[in-house]
Amino acid sequence: MLSFFARRVSLSLVTLFLLSIMVFLGGQVLPGNVGRAILGPFADQRAVDALNHTLGVDRPLLAQYWSWISNFVQGDMGTSYIFRSPVAPFVLDALGNSMKLAAVAFVLVVPIGILGGVIAALNLNRPLDRIISLGGLSVTVLPEFVTGIILILIFGVWLRWLPISAAWPKDAGFFTQLYYLILPALPLFLVLFGYIARMARSGMIEALDSDYTRTAVLKGLPWRTVIWRHVLRNALLPTITVIATQTGYLIGGLVVIETLFRYQGIGSLIFTAARGKDFPMLESGILTIGIVYAVATLIADFLYSVLNPRIRLGSEQ
Amino acid sequence: MSKDYRILDFIRRSRTPHENHLIDGLVDGRVSRRDFIRHGSLLGLSLPLLGGITTAAGFGGMPSLARAQGAPGATIRVASSVPAATIDPVTIADAGGLLVMQQVAEFLCVDGPDLVLQPALAESWKPNDNGTVWTFKLRKGVKFHSGGEMKAEDVVASIDRLADPANSSNALSVFTGILSKGASKKVDDYTVEFHLDAPNGNFPYMLSSDNYNAVIIPASYKGDYEKSFDGTGPFKIEKYTAKVGASFVRNEDYWGPKALPERTEFTFFADMQPQILALQGGQVDIINQMPVLAGVALLNDPNINIISLKSSAHQQLHLRCDDGPLKDPRVRRAIALSLDRDKLVAGLMKGRASAGNDSPFASVYPSTDASVPQRKRDIAQAKQLMEAAGAGKGFKMTLTTERYLEIPEYAQLIQNWVKEIGIELDLNILDQSAYYGDAVFGKSNWLDSVMGITDYGHRGVPNVYLAAPLKSEGTWNAAHFKNKDYDTLATSYIAALDLEAQKATAGKIQNLLLEETPVIFGYFYDYLTATAKGVAGVQPTAMSQLFLDKASKA
Repeated sequence: MLSFFARRVSLSLVTLFLLSIMVFLGGQVLPGNVGRAILGPFADQRAVDALNHTLGVDRPLLAQYWSWISNFVQGDMGTSYIFRSPVAPFVLDALGNSMKLAAVAFVLVVPIGILGGVIAALNLNRPLDRIISLGGLSVTVLPEFVTGIILILIFGVWLRWLPISAAWPKDAGFFTQLYYLILPALPLFLVLFGYIARMARSGMIEALDSDYTRTAVLKGLPWRTVIWRHVLRNALLPTITVIATQTGYLIGGLVVIETLFRYQGIGSLIFTAARGKDFPMLESGILTIGIVYAVATLIADFLYSVLNPRIRLGSEQ
Repeated sequence: MSKDYRILDFIRRSRTPHENHLIDGLVDGRVSRRDFIRHGSLLGLSLPLLGGITTAAGFGGMPSLARAQGAPGATIRVASSVPAATIDPVTIADAGGLLVMQQVAEFLCVDGPDLVLQPALAESWKPNDNGTVWTFKLRKGVKFHSGGEMKAEDVVASIDRLADPANSSNALSVFTGILSKGASKKVDDYTVEFHLDAPNGNFPYMLSSDNYNAVIIPASYKGDYEKSFDGTGPFKIEKYTAKVGASFVRNEDYWGPKALPERTEFTFFADMQPQILALQGGQVDIINQMPVLAGVALLNDPNINIISLKSSAHQQLHLRCDDGPLKDPRVRRAIALSLDRDKLVAGLMKGRASAGNDSPFASVYPSTDASVPQRKRDIAQAKQLMEAAGAGKGFKMTLTTERYLEIPEYAQLIQNWVKEIGIELDLNILDQSAYYGDAVFGKSNWLDSVMGITDYGHRGVPNVYLAAPLKSEGTWNAAHFKNKDYDTLATSYIAALDLEAQKATAGKIQNLLLEETPVIFGYFYDYLTATAKGVAGVQPTAMSQLFLDKASKA
C-alpha cells in the first residue's frame, strides 16, 4: 500500500515538474512582450523597454524560470507584473472561490446525479429511465454560457429572485455567499448531471447483472440489502473516478461561468493573466491547479483502492 | 441680432493677434460660432469671455452650462471593464483603469463632449507668438485629498514624470517631439510654462483629459498609486479591490461645487454581456462604454437611455504603399471607392457613426475642411482605376486584423465589396496580442501586414492621427506611406495656431490623402454610454471618462 502511494506521489511530482516547464515555455511563445501588453500597442518603445527592464523580463529565460520555480517550491509565487503585488493572495483567494463554487455544484449534483442514475438503472428501458438518460444527455451537451444566460434572464432579469453577479458583498456570511452561488452553480449542475447519472446508471446495470448480485438475491437477501450492500458499492467505483476527474474541470476550467457571473475564480484569473502576459500569475495559477488536480486524482486512487483492493494488489504485483 | 462693435473693439484691445484673428473670423462669418468657441477655448479664452464675444458679434451668448440639478445623496452604480493593470497615472492605458483614476484625479483642463476645452485645475492658458511656449495659470486653493495645496511644482512634476523616457510613461508617445523632460518650468506657485520642442497649435489638448495620463498628482508621488488614490477630484476613494470594483465618496473639501452623489460604485466586468444583463436586471445604473454591436439589445430598450457622443474614434484600414499591387495609388483608390459608407454607418454601426472621407479629419473637428467632396461608392470608376493600373484581372491578398469590436464584421463587408472589382481577400483575424505583436516594424502583424484594420480611439485634435500612422517616419505607419509633401503639410498643420490656417492646411491634407489613399477611414464611430431610466446628469467623454459630480437618480 505504501509503495503504491509512493509511486503515485512521485509520478505526480514528475508530472507537475514537466507541467511547470510547459507552462513557462508556453507563456514565452505568446505573441508580444510583457511591457507592450501592459502599456498597450501605442506606447513608445523606450517606455516599453524601461518597463521590461524593471520587471526583469529582459533576463535570459533559464534565469527567469529558475527564479520563479525555486521561489515557488519555497512557497513564494512571485510578484504579479500587472498588479505589482504578491501573486499568492490572488491565487489562493481565487482557488478558494473556485472551490466554494465547485463544492456547491458537487453538493447539488453528486447525490442527485447518482440517485438519477440508480433510479434509471432500476427502471431500465422504462419511461423514467428514458427521461433521466435523455434529459441528462440533453442538458449536458448545452454549453454553460447558453444555460447560464438563460438562467440569468429567467431568475435575474425577469423574476429578479437571484443576483446575476456571483460577487457577494463584503463580509457576507455563509448563507449570503450560498445565495450568490446558486445561479452560477446551476449551469454546472446541468453539465455534470447527465455525465454522473450515466456513469452511475451503467455501473448499476453492470452490478445488477453480475454473479454476486444474482447470488445475493438467490440467498434470499431483501432487495434493499442487495442494493445497498452489494450493488451500490461496486456500481459507484467508476462514478468516483469520474467525479475526481471533474474536480479539475470544476476548479480550473470555469472561465466561461466565472466571466458570465463575474466570479473571481482561478479560471478567470488565469485567463486574465494569459491575456495580460502576467507570467508569475499565469504560471503559479496553472501549477496550483495542477497540484489540486494531482491531489484529487491521488484521493480518487486512494478511495478506489480502498473500495477495490484488486487495483492496489495488481499494482503491487 | 446686430453686432456691437464698441464692445468688440474693447475686447480686442487686450487680445493677442491670434485671438483677434479668430474674433475677426467670427465677425466676418469665416468662422462658425461653434468652431469659434472650440478654437477660442484652445487659445485659452475663458468661456464667459467667449460668450461675451459671441453676444457682441450678434450670435447670442453661450448656451447655459448649468444642467438641471437632481436630488443629492444618491449612490450611482457603474459597470466598467476590468482595469487591465495596476492603476498608476504614469503607465495606465486601459479604459477600466483610467476610469477609476479619473474619479479622483483631475486634469489641467477637460476636453468636453463637444471638444470645447474647459478649465479645470488650470484657470487659463495662452501661447506665445509662435506656439512654442504655453503658459498655464493654475487655480488657487485646490487641495489634494491627502491635504496639501496643489501648486506649480505638482504640475511640473506630474507632467515631467510623463515626459521622462525612463519612467515607462504611457504618455511618452504623445509628448515625443513635443515636450521633453525638464521643459515644464515653474514660474511662480500658480504659473507653469511649457517650452515645446516645436511649435504646436493644439498643445493644451495634450495636457487635457485628451491625454488620459496627464492628471495632476502630488510632486512627492513615488509610484504606489493604489495605496493613496490621491488627487484633487470631487470624489475620494473609499475602497478599491483589484479585479472586483471600487467605490468613492463625495469630497467635502472640493474646490468647485460639491458632487451631488454621496457615493459612487464601480463594478468591473470582464465582458460586455454581463454588463448588459446587470443594467437590465437593475444591478447597475450605467454602462460606461458600450460598443454598438454588443449593445444592440439596449439601443431600443425603453428602460434605457443611450448617451451618444460624436467622436473621432475609427478603424483604420491601411494599405501598404511600398509593395505589391497596392503600391499603385489607383488600386488603393479603387478599393476605397468599392466601400459603401452609407451601409457602414446605417447597417454595421446602426446609425451610430459618421462617414469618413479617407483622412483623419472627422466632422467633429473645427479645422476639418467640409468643402472637400465626400468619397462615395463608385464601382464603375473603381474598375476603371483597376484597369488603368494594370490590375483589371484582379488579384488575391490577405487582410490581417484584430478580433475587437465590430472589426471582424467590417472585414467581411470589405471582403464582399472588393470582390466586385476583382480582388479576392483572405481574412486573417487574430487576437489583439497576436495582431499587435511587439508593435515595432518587423515584429508585428499590424505594422507588417499588406492590408490591415486597426482600432484608433478618440482624440480631441487630429495631431496624433496625422503624425504616427501617416508621417514618413511615423512609429505606427502601417501603410508604409512616405510622402514629403504630406510630411510638410502635417508639420505645418500641427504648428498652426490660427484656425483658418489650420483649415486651409487641413483641406490640402484631405485632398492629398484622397489622391494617395494610404489609409481608408470608412467611418468615425460614436461613443455610447447606457444609463437606466431616471439616472440624470451623467457626463461621459469619448476618452472613456465619466464625470458623475452632477449625477442623480429619480
